[in-house]
Amino acid sequence: MKKKYVMSLIAIVLMISIVLLGMSRLSRPVSANQRTTIVFWHSMGGKPADALKKLVAKYNASQTKYTVVPQYQGAYTESLPKYINVANSSAAPAIVQAQEIATSTMLSTKSTEPVSRLLDSQVINQIEDNIARYYTVDNQLQSLPFNSSTPVLYYNKSLVEKLGLKPLPEDPSYQDILNLAQAITEKTNHQTKGMTIEAYGWLFEELTANQNQLLANHDNGRESGQYATKININTPAARRLMTFMKQAIQDKSFVSYGSGDIAEANQQTAFLAGKLGMFMQSSASTGDLQANAKFKLGVTYVPHADDIARNGLTLGGASLWVNKHQTTATKEGVTDFLKFMSSAQSQAQWQLATGYLAVNKNAKALPQVTSAIAKDSNLGVATKQLETSKKNSVTAGPLVPILPIERTNVETAMQSIVNGADIEKSLQTAEDATNKALASYNSANHMQK
Amino acid sequence: MDHAFSSANHAVVKHTQLQQKLKTHLAAMGFIAPSAIFLGVFVFYPLVKTVYYSMFLTNALGQPVKFIGLSNYGTLLQDKFFMKSLLTTFIFVFMVTLLTTVSALALAMVTSKHLKGTTLFRTFFASTMGVSVSVASVLWLFIFQPTTGVSDMVLNLLHLPPIHWLTDNTWSLFAVILTVVWMNLGFSFLALTGALENVATPLYEVADIEGVTTWHKFYHITLPQISPTLFFVGTVTMINAFQTFGQVDLLTKGGPNNSTNLIVYQIYKDAFVNLNVGKASTESIVLALLIALVTIAQFKLTEKRVMYQ
Repeated sequence: MKKKYVMSLIAIVLMISIVLLGMSRLSRPVSANQRTTIVFWHSMGGKPADALKKLVAKYNASQTKYTVVPQYQGAYTESLPKYINVANSSAAPAIVQAQEIATSTMLSTKSTEPVSRLLDSQVINQIEDNIARYYTVDNQLQSLPFNSSTPVLYYNKSLVEKLGLKPLPEDPSYQDILNLAQAITEKTNHQTKGMTIEAYGWLFEELTANQNQLLANHDNGRESGQYATKININTPAARRLMTFMKQAIQDKSFVSYGSGDIAEANQQTAFLAGKLGMFMQSSASTGDLQANAKFKLGVTYVPHADDIARNGLTLGGASLWVNKHQTTATKEGVTDFLKFMSSAQSQAQWQLATGYLAVNKNAKALPQVTSAIAKDSNLGVATKQLETSKKNSVTAGPLVPILPIERTNVETAMQSIVNGADIEKSLQTAEDATNKALASYNSANHMQK
Repeated sequence: MDHAFSSANHAVVKHTQLQQKLKTHLAAMGFIAPSAIFLGVFVFYPLVKTVYYSMFLTNALGQPVKFIGLSNYGTLLQDKFFMKSLLTTFIFVFMVTLLTTVSALALAMVTSKHLKGTTLFRTFFASTMGVSVSVASVLWLFIFQPTTGVSDMVLNLLHLPPIHWLTDNTWSLFAVILTVVWMNLGFSFLALTGALENVATPLYEVADIEGVTTWHKFYHITLPQISPTLFFVGTVTMINAFQTFGQVDLLTKGGPNNSTNLIVYQIYKDAFVNLNVGKASTESIVLALLIALVTIAQFKLTEKRVMYQ
């Protein structure tokens, strides 16, 4: 009996020591004659993941002091909570990639070092203004924009030409889109549906921004010393956008694919199969579509409301954040690596491989970029769309913490409108729910104010 | 003296008894310790911590910043979205449990006759056991694809209008139920097949001599005989259904219009996407209480009809 008691004790001790041993293995020793390891958490999958690995390998081969180790930590929404858990501990990675809408959350972890304190102003000044503005808070560039994109409108140019219709202008209006969608649908006898608008919060934000509508008060939450206390969803701009969508539904030239990843996948499949004429999606999809389309691909700006001049867009994508609890050697390595990643050469390589926008101003003058755009003008559309956007608080983008909730609510509203619900009522429901969440967030996070 | 002796003797006996008892207890503790420690660390500690978080406002980092007592629960019970999610969950669990049990039983009955090819069909019907949630979901995604999917091709051949399985409010929940039932079918089928094989043949022989109908045989012999397995299958399926996450995440993300937003998915979204740990904890506790209630109810209502041998 005693023996068994002892045995079980031994077993427990053994198990605990295995766990402890495992934990001690996690901390990596750095000896003097070794390269300093820089852990880099990212969320890139598919084609962009390969392109990212290539860039990192190129950097590692270019010098002998540091080894950057890219680690895939799941999609943005998966890696963010992981980072938050370790942000102020020794397990934190040196660099973490975070989505644009996580900017405010990343700042609230108080675990990051603004990159403008690490990089020379010479490096910072090369970053495209319209991109840098998004990540600039309190006059500091908080993180290094890396993969940036804007939505563009894709359409089946071959089909349009075959049906004897006029291709879209560079900057189409809602009416241009409705006309073309209806023509495509009728001329193909409903075999091809004219258009879709994915129930996607980002598209909603972008298309209302294009009408110069602020998403949040206090200059989109960017006013110095202030934070957003109200989010605007039921606005004239949003109602115009929803009326546009409803008109397409009435014209029977609209098909709904719902929301989320499957909607994205399904609309892309339908588009490539020639069953869908037009859709809006991140410019980062250009490469994929170009490679898989068996027809001439058309790319233009996302449409602006009739009678309202185009204001321009804010950006999507992600940026690289530096954790401040790192050794001096690691920080030097991080600085060197970020300088490499933001260089015109790296960004040109990145843009051509993925369809994301180069964040470096000088990238577009490089011969590999100019010749690629000369060969295929579609590749230059997104860059031009962002460059020609007006510079105001709307296009600087919202600095608001609860954007995932806002997006869910907006997507619910969009879907109920597609299913026949009243526009104003649906938008108001979304706005109320979002502001309730914002108020509760503010009361938990801004108690000192 | 005699008395003293007996008393001393008694004390000694008592002492050794106590020692024996203590020894047994210690040994028992030793045996219990591993699972007690594991349950403590991985079940009870998180449970207590979840209750604790549910009484706080939490910031974006998940830290409790302000004690608010039970007001998270109050807010939740007034939350339209949560109530809708609750209703959806109940419909989902009920339908999954019912459809899984009934169709698994039907398939098991069909293959219980030892005919040529029975083994082949049994293998087919049990094969979903070997499929992972993600593979199953992707498979059904292909079937449900609105423009190139198999389902619409079939409907088209039958001259029926296409069904937007995952994007239409009216169909989405059913589509997810279908996927989950399909996944669960393999295991339930196998368990019920085993149970059917174990029903004593003399019972049927007697029934045949009496000349009763097939339905009578099923209702009065088969059903009571397999009732323990049926009860087990029902309970396990129900608990699994309450915990369904993968299919929702891969097929619909809770949409369209929250029509497939099961509570478990809402908890995940609140904790890891919306970064509101307080709310997510409150929802978890409510869910745990509900599962406990439903399980108790199921035991009380249906266990009476279970016939253990």
